[in-house]
Amino acid sequence: MKSLRIGLLLGFRQIQRANFWTTSLIIFVMMLTFLNLIAVSGILVGLIAGSERAVQDKSIGDIIITPLDDEEKILQTETIRRILDTVPEVASYSIRYQQGIEITANAKTRRDFGIEPNTIGARAVGINPLAEDAVTALSENVIEGEYLNGDEAGYILIGALNLERFTAGFADITGALENVFPGDSVRVTVNGASREFTVKGIVNAKAGDVASFVYIPEKELRRLSNSASRDADEIAIRLADKTPETGIEVKSILTAQEIDSFAKVRTFQEALPKFITDIKQTFNILGTFIGAVGIIVASITIFIIIFINAISRRQQIGILKGIGIDRRAIEVAYVLQSAFYALIGSFLGVLVTYGFLVGYFDANPIDFPFSDGILVAEPIGTLYRFVILFIITLFAGFVPAWIIVRQNTLNSILGRK
Amino acid sequence: MAIISAKNIQRRFIEGKLTTNVLKGIDVEVQEGEFVAIMGKSGAGKSTLMYQLSVLDTPSEGDLEINKVCVSELTESEKTAFRLNTLGYVFQNYALVPDLSAEENVMVPLLMRGYDWTESKQMAKVAIDGVGLEGKYKNLPAELSGGEQQRVSIARAIAGKPKILFADEPTANLDTVSGTQVIDLIAAINKDEGQTVVMVTHEREYALGCNRIIHMEDGQVVSIEELNKYGRGEN
Repeated sequence: MKSLRIGLLLGFRQIQRANFWTTSLIIFVMMLTFLNLIAVSGILVGLIAGSERAVQDKSIGDIIITPLDDEEKILQTETIRRILDTVPEVASYSIRYQQGIEITANAKTRRDFGIEPNTIGARAVGINPLAEDAVTALSENVIEGEYLNGDEAGYILIGALNLERFTAGFADITGALENVFPGDSVRVTVNGASREFTVKGIVNAKAGDVASFVYIPEKELRRLSNSASRDADEIAIRLADKTPETGIEVKSILTAQEIDSFAKVRTFQEALPKFITDIKQTFNILGTFIGAVGIIVASITIFIIIFINAISRRQQIGILKGIGIDRRAIEVAYVLQSAFYALIGSFLGVLVTYGFLVGYFDANPIDFPFSDGILVAEPIGTLYRFVILFIITLFAGFVPAWIIVRQNTLNSILGRK
Repeated sequence: MAIISAKNIQRRFIEGKLTTNVLKGIDVEVQEGEFVAIMGKSGAGKSTLMYQLSVLDTPSEGDLEINKVCVSELTESEKTAFRLNTLGYVFQNYALVPDLSAEENVMVPLLMRGYDWTESKQMAKVAIDGVGLEGKYKNLPAELSGGEQQRVSIARAIAGKPKILFADEPTANLDTVSGTQVIDLIAAINKDEGQTVVMVTHEREYALGCNRIIHMEDGQVVSIEELNKYGRGEN
């Protein structure tokens, strides 16, 4: 206790009397180190989090209902629809029908049959435009032209990845329509039956298959495919509360209504594409590795700072020991200094992270090919990193002080080696 | 009664194959309440002897008893505690902690001894007043002259009323006026408080206030000069 009291006095006064600019520089380095810990791994995780968020917002919804493993369609779709209408937590849902189609862009204009037809195979999604928009805000992903109205016929939306001008470089592999713009007429063929549609808009989004589908009002798709069945391919559900806990709760409500005997009910987390969870795991490992390197750099920085500080006060340390001050008191003084640097540096790092960086990256996501990268800095993760940094910093402050303090007292006083 | 009893104190320094005998078997006794000066030319071994007697260094050979404690048998941490509770130091270069005020410099060993903050502060003020620095409690060492810093150093050394005060060339970095003031102060502490003092000095004039002068040469005591008990000018 006596040692602690004296250590605190010595440490506090050293901080108080230290050169302002030197202290500021050390704190700045600590802040950068903390930011390195938070931001680098946060952006790595944020790449995937951005992708996850996009898939949840623009594709899967909060809960997705799909056919059972041994079925092609969701059974009793109308029954499920009625059940969904009774669940208050369900804000909206979109029933989707999928159909393989062939789409030809130059069906009317091709005079010379020696020229290759401007045709590709694609996946059509039959939707109720208003319901789909309520779940996935598909209208916000229309980058050219306009979104579908609820009651009109003869219009479609085409995903950008079906168009050559959006897939430059890899169109040869995937196949894409050339020179298609909103207002153009295209021919859609399903099982030999064809119909002309006007392209009303082009859809693009970095989320799942959103940009690779062709969107057709569901009535028209069923009519074209000559299907009387109302059984759908998937139902995306948007909840009033998007938290994972509510997702689990609503899933259990739906399961209790025995929907799971007609279809597979999965929360967004359960339905995430495997590649996303795989990348997430990989990036987590990478983030942890980079974080570990950051912590090592931080601890070495603190070690050097405290070592230089202690070595430059070696004579003073010797004198303190000479007049009978316990070495633990002297060690406490240096540990207190490193604690101070770590605390203030981390505090400023937290301030910059939550006061600026998170908001900035939310508003200006990093434009990656497969997602819009945001900065993920969950408070619990930040606290965890801070605790690790703090403990290691204390240790890094203690070791040099311990090295200097255990040197021969008289040698320290006289400045002898 | 001898408060310091040193028998056959030797100190060797070994560097590679070279062994230097700095102290070659010194026998010395200091009585309680005595003011003893150690004098000698540079390299005579006077500071080295003082480091042994003040438990800052460990003799290569010999027995040292201070205040009835055989210090050679103490561990490092016991020596630290012994120095804290029994000995006081005045160093040549004042040796104040530059970040602490005059008052805090004096308080630190008192806090270490277990006095609480208020007691330590009060005792520090009394000690600082005692060395003639009233009102300079909050001054940092850098804000004090050399003489004033040395007086703070003396205040720190005597505040806890140690059994023995060691002073290693306390006037070496001071001008004549300040040096005289510091020596007078140490002499007064010895005379008024009965404090045992062991001082290393180059200046014979300053040593004249002592009871005895131990003269050293080449690591040995060559003579002991007895002076008038009441010091300078009265022998």
